[in-house]
Amino acid sequence: MTPPSWLGQGWLAPHYLGWLLHGAAMTAALALCVSLAASLLGILLCAAQDSPLRVLHWPARLFCSLHRNTPLLVQVLLWYFGVGGLLPDQAMQWLNSPHQLALPLGLSLSWPSFEWLAAWIALSWYSACFISGELAAGLRTVGSGQRLAGRALGMSEWQIFRLVVLPQALRHIRQPLLGQYTAIIKNTSLTMAIGVAELSYASRQVESETLLAFQAFAVATLFYLLLVIATQLAGSRRSAEEPGR
Amino acid sequence: MMLSLLHDNLDYLLWGNLAQGQPGGLLLTVGISLAAGVLATLGGLAGGVALCMGGPRLCRVLNTLVQILRAIPVLMLIFWCYFLLPILFGIDIPGVLTVIAALALINAAYLSQSVKAGIDAIGDGQWRAAQALGMTRWQALRYIILPPALRAMLPSFVNQWITLLKDSSLAYVVGVAEFTFVATQINNREQVYPLQIFGLLAIGYLLLCSALEWLGRRAGRMPA
Repeated sequence: MTPPSWLGQGWLAPHYLGWLLHGAAMTAALALCVSLAASLLGILLCAAQDSPLRVLHWPARLFCSLHRNTPLLVQVLLWYFGVGGLLPDQAMQWLNSPHQLALPLGLSLSWPSFEWLAAWIALSWYSACFISGELAAGLRTVGSGQRLAGRALGMSEWQIFRLVVLPQALRHIRQPLLGQYTAIIKNTSLTMAIGVAELSYASRQVESETLLAFQAFAVATLFYLLLVIATQLAGSRRSAEEPGR
Repeated sequence: MMLSLLHDNLDYLLWGNLAQGQPGGLLLTVGISLAAGVLATLGGLAGGVALCMGGPRLCRVLNTLVQILRAIPVLMLIFWCYFLLPILFGIDIPGVLTVIAALALINAAYLSQSVKAGIDAIGDGQWRAAQALGMTRWQALRYIILPPALRAMLPSFVNQWITLLKDSSLAYVVGVAEFTFVATQINNREQVYPLQIFGLLAIGYLLLCSALEWLGRRAGRMPA
């Protein structure tokens, strides 16, 4: 039986698989960096909206609604073209030329490209708003009786938060947070629009080079599925180890 | 300077080459979102009801499909539709339709889960009461379960519509002349005010999404 004509001729050559694998590594690295930054920023945003200082409330809320109600792609383009255009020429020249930081053992760390930085910042700010929403919702699930009980036992506000509220809230936050990290993996695909060589970009490149669209997209889709499933497994493994569940 | 830029490009940004019969810009974004939104809502309702009323085998197939759709980026799904739909139907399909199909499919998958959760949230007692009155399962669903369930689902529907509206910007990658694509075209041509052009683009989407959010909140407050 001959394969249907739309499948194209043959399978992907090994070096094209290498491109896709490199793209998947780039996607994983970007998603990891974004997850770290977005979690930190999300905690700050959540703290600002929950803080006793009322002046912090509305800027944090405005920041979130601005980011949640515009497309991520537009934010990525805004950072890349808009903010890139604002920087002085020398700064752009420095950012666009390679820089190496020598590490011991003969390793070196290279300064990321400008599109990578723009993608990282745009994705982190966007995701932080969603993460702060999940954190706030998790904290709200702990009833006020718990706080009052803590106060009755003579605990300080920090002790109440650290020993009473946080452990209970974390249990509710874990699943939604895992969903946000999955969303971050998927959202890194948008950065192909500014030329970050991640998985979607690589699949498009392989497709236009080989004309084997089906194979290129199938491998890329498989890599996305693997990354997402690995994230879900890592998350549920952690919650199974948790005592008292 | 900024004003002349706006004056020269505003028409194109808002409705593309409408006079030549090629709608684009903000108008096309609204059109894509409306079409995909209606399809996704119908698909999500059908999927959610099937998950509640269907047999175990149907549920397993639907659940697997939903899990896969939720695990891949929307962008990848647009690529797939762009490549597979013309093969499936054997004809040339315009990019706009492939984008509408991809957006409808993924959002229907998300909505079917909300519909299922909404129906599950209505207590068992309601089903049994309807049965005691001699209603069939479908009659109970239609007259007893769905009316309050749909009201409870409205916020998640509105959220999904907003997500869909934002994701319509991804049509840019397959060269559909919607709002984002048109803005990048203008940016490439002018090369002077990227911050202003993309800022304006962001404000356009912000107004659309906020309007949708506001409408949803108003509808949620209306008496039954």
